[in-house]
Amino acid sequence: MLTVTDLAKRHAGASRPLFEALEFAVAAGEVVALVGESGVGKSTLLNCIAGLETPDRGAVRIGPQALDMVRLDEAARAALRARRIGFVFQAFHVLPTLSVSQNLGVPLLLCGVPRGEHPQRIHSLLDRVGLADYAARWPTSLSGGELQRVAIARALVHQPALILADEPTGNLDPRTAGEVLSLLLDSVRERDTSALIVTHSQHVAQCCDRILTLTPAGLQ
Amino acid sequence: MNRLSWWLILAQFRTRRAATLLSMLAIALGVALGYAIHLINDAALADFSRAMQTVQGNPDAVLAARDSAGSVPLASINEIARDPAVLLVAAVIESRVRLDSSPTPLRLIGIDVFSAAALMPRLLPRHDGRAGSAHILAGGVYASPALLEKFGLHPGSAVTLQRGDQDWHAIIAGDLPATGPDDLLLVADIAWVQEHFGPANAVSEGRIRLEPDTDPAAWRTALEQRLPSGLLLRMADDDGVRVSNLSRAYRVNLNVLALVALLTGAFLVFATQLSAVAQRSTQFALLGVLGLSPRMRLLQVLLEGLAIGVPGALLGLGLGYLLALAFTQILGGDLGGGYFTGSAPIIVPAPVPALGFLALGCAASLAGACYPAYLNRQQALAQALQTGFAQRPRGSDPTATSQPLLPALLAIGALALTQAPPWFDLPLGGYAAIGLVLLIGIASAPPLTRQVFGHLAGRALPAPQQIALQNVAQAPLLAQVAASGLIVSFALTASMVIMVSSFRVAVDRWLDDILPAPLYLRSRATPLPAEVLAALLQADTPFARVERMAQGSLTIDAQRPNVALLVREIERGNPEARLPFSGELVAAPPDMAVVWISEALHEIYRIVPGQILHLPLLGSEVEVFVGGVWRDYSRQFGALVISREDYEHLGGRFQPTDLALWPRAGQEAAAATWLVPYAGRHGLELSEAAEIRRLSLSIFDKSFAVTYALEAAAMLIGLFGLAVTLAASVWLRARELATLGALGFDRRMLSQAVMLEGALIACVGLLVGLACGVAIGAILTHVINPQSFHWRMPLSIPWSTLLAGAGLTLAAAILASHYAARQVTRLPLAQVLASAH
Repeated sequence: MLTVTDLAKRHAGASRPLFEALEFAVAAGEVVALVGESGVGKSTLLNCIAGLETPDRGAVRIGPQALDMVRLDEAARAALRARRIGFVFQAFHVLPTLSVSQNLGVPLLLCGVPRGEHPQRIHSLLDRVGLADYAARWPTSLSGGELQRVAIARALVHQPALILADEPTGNLDPRTAGEVLSLLLDSVRERDTSALIVTHSQHVAQCCDRILTLTPAGLQ
Repeated sequence: MNRLSWWLILAQFRTRRAATLLSMLAIALGVALGYAIHLINDAALADFSRAMQTVQGNPDAVLAARDSAGSVPLASINEIARDPAVLLVAAVIESRVRLDSSPTPLRLIGIDVFSAAALMPRLLPRHDGRAGSAHILAGGVYASPALLEKFGLHPGSAVTLQRGDQDWHAIIAGDLPATGPDDLLLVADIAWVQEHFGPANAVSEGRIRLEPDTDPAAWRTALEQRLPSGLLLRMADDDGVRVSNLSRAYRVNLNVLALVALLTGAFLVFATQLSAVAQRSTQFALLGVLGLSPRMRLLQVLLEGLAIGVPGALLGLGLGYLLALAFTQILGGDLGGGYFTGSAPIIVPAPVPALGFLALGCAASLAGACYPAYLNRQQALAQALQTGFAQRPRGSDPTATSQPLLPALLAIGALALTQAPPWFDLPLGGYAAIGLVLLIGIASAPPLTRQVFGHLAGRALPAPQQIALQNVAQAPLLAQVAASGLIVSFALTASMVIMVSSFRVAVDRWLDDILPAPLYLRSRATPLPAEVLAALLQADTPFARVERMAQGSLTIDAQRPNVALLVREIERGNPEARLPFSGELVAAPPDMAVVWISEALHEIYRIVPGQILHLPLLGSEVEVFVGGVWRDYSRQFGALVISREDYEHLGGRFQPTDLALWPRAGQEAAAATWLVPYAGRHGLELSEAAEIRRLSLSIFDKSFAVTYALEAAAMLIGLFGLAVTLAASVWLRARELATLGALGFDRRMLSQAVMLEGALIACVGLLVGLACGVAIGAILTHVINPQSFHWRMPLSIPWSTLLAGAGLTLAAAILASHYAARQVTRLPLAQVLASAH
């Protein structure tokens, strides 16, 4: 599960904070949509939770202990992401120089999963996302939908406590977007993982368990 | 190294084959050059020492005359033999003789077999039954196996040994089984050698073995106090230092060239890794987002650098070994410097130096990967994932490089370093100044670019030119790297061209000065036969004028190579008629002998005109007046000229070894024909001035051939660095260029913009490189050369060659830009615009 406490962020030189004293939680197995106007700070909030940006204050709890994100150093944040968070991006971001199975192997290597478990986990996830025969393929030979399936498999392969997804269907056609979204939601729910999905799509938001709307005044 | 690192390294090699391979080759080249120089020189020094040990044995000390014309009186040998600290003294007479009128004189060593057995065991002869009764005590001569083979002799052969007018008809009585395969030696009993070639009541050297409990340093100090001033005591360590000093500066300079090659390799690794980091910035950012720690992102780039460096350095070790083998097979152990002529050393690679050079190659590669690794470590992940590579690290001031203070401070530092005297006899200050000049060039390029192109970008220009100017005016990092590579490579190339050109022009002029006569006759280290000298005095010879010269040598410092002593028929009041003086002449007191010293002697021993010098001449210490400094490019360790009158006045015996001859008008051909029989009969060397000049310049060009090859390599590496960084820069801006395409730029306009950008960056690199090259050329000419080799020369800049080189480089840079532009404009606009980085 994810718990965010008293999270605040003001960009350098900005007259007012982007957000202040944000507090919310996402339960295990719950999928929450984060919506809001452009520029309101949705991606920044995601970045602060993942430790990609430093908030001005606040704590984030992913799993057993709460972490002061201001004091956490870069190495600890990297370790937090490696062990507890899976990412899905709008632009897929699959490593083009590694094969599909190597792409899935990266999170396993980073969070120290024993080597012997890798083939089984990778095969099982690829099977789950419908790409069982794609293990040896290179990303350059895949379509957008296939790339996003690889990204979803990579986000789940190390069994993180939290999935952070930023417009996961933004670059896909409606039919493929529907398939990918179903895959993401089903995979998250069946693993009892928490998920926070940033989206502009009403359809995506309505498919989630709960919707949080970020406004300049705070979360609604 | 974990599996992820390995995957990424393999991916890097797979996707950037050419750049990675060339970086590896550049590292290999640097390591190979350095290692080959080390192997050849190490083997040559060992071979030289072995050859010296063969002749000299293993004495604790050697007593010799300081003057090559002098000798050690038997009285001095006997006195030392009576010293209770001395166990044994072996007297030796060494003479240069011609074997059956051979053109090259050979070493004839007269030994006492009984003392030689203890001190010089490798010179012990082996009698051969075919020689009959001509054993050593009966006047038999023994030859080394190499000499027997070279001259087609065998024991029992009758030979004639000649030295000047003295002949010795002898029988080859056997061989010298312990001598080396390259040793050309003759050994005979000391009494027989003395009887035929002298010196009477004296010997060439006394080789001394001390009692085991003697302190050599204390013994030397005590003995030197009562030693006659014409004699010199050399201890065992002195010879090693002297041999090392012989080639030290040349060796260091070659190693600096190898270091330059290694640095260019490091630059290539830098360019390759920087462009790799730039092109993979979103991938590294993604890895960071997935949990790869900042430290691991830094280490990954360093590991990739090491993955280039390790195979590159290993390849370099192999290449270096092969290069050393090939070099010694073709040219011997000479390294092209003329110090160990005639030796063919055996290359023996040792593990410790090999590991050292391996580490050096890896260090160069790691050094090249350091800044890209740092930049990679500093990339803001979220931003890099969205917008790609940030060309400046977080928190750096983008205007910091535009401060002119840094180049100014570096310039003052460089100027101060050029004024520094040599350290440890090496021009370390000059080398440091060269490094600073290159830094000045690199540091001044960005502000210069901003100033010039920023001003031009403000003008109304067609769109492609405007785009190119604006981009270059911002001096982005990759453009700076491209320009820096060109600055360094063009500066080094231009400087070498300037130095070599200055040297060649100076040598050309110098040859005019030192070869005034049309014909020269030389006997090489043995006196000219009296028959030749007497014939030349006849009235009916075809010569209008003959000038004679005697060549000898002096030992001023036991740890330094000997200094040449030239006794010439030169007018004491008008020496500039024959010597190319480089400074003012000082008139000598009428009652004092005057010498004119070469620039090398002036530099090494800090002797100045007007000084009274105490020379170890003719068996005693003689006061002479230093009348001036002359230019000499042929004797690196110094020479001094004294007039025949002064030399004879001091008691010297003038025995000419060289003749300069002026044929009568119209009798040039007859003059040469007249000399041929004498030259043939006595093994003398007859040369025309034009031939000596042609040969000298040909040797000069050959010895700098390796420099030309390195210049070409440096330029190619610079150009490759430019191509790699330009391609990376254009690739990074693919979206920007695609946006311009979407706004209405056609492919031709985009290509024009990219090519103009490449040309502008190349122009900056070439202009700054040229300025740095002239500065470094001046440092090489006026600091490095005098301090390393003691040669001075005026600066001579071959502008046409430099401008032609710059033009060619510019054309190549435009071609590289054209290629990069074609690659990026070939992609469909829609695909580029839709793609993530």
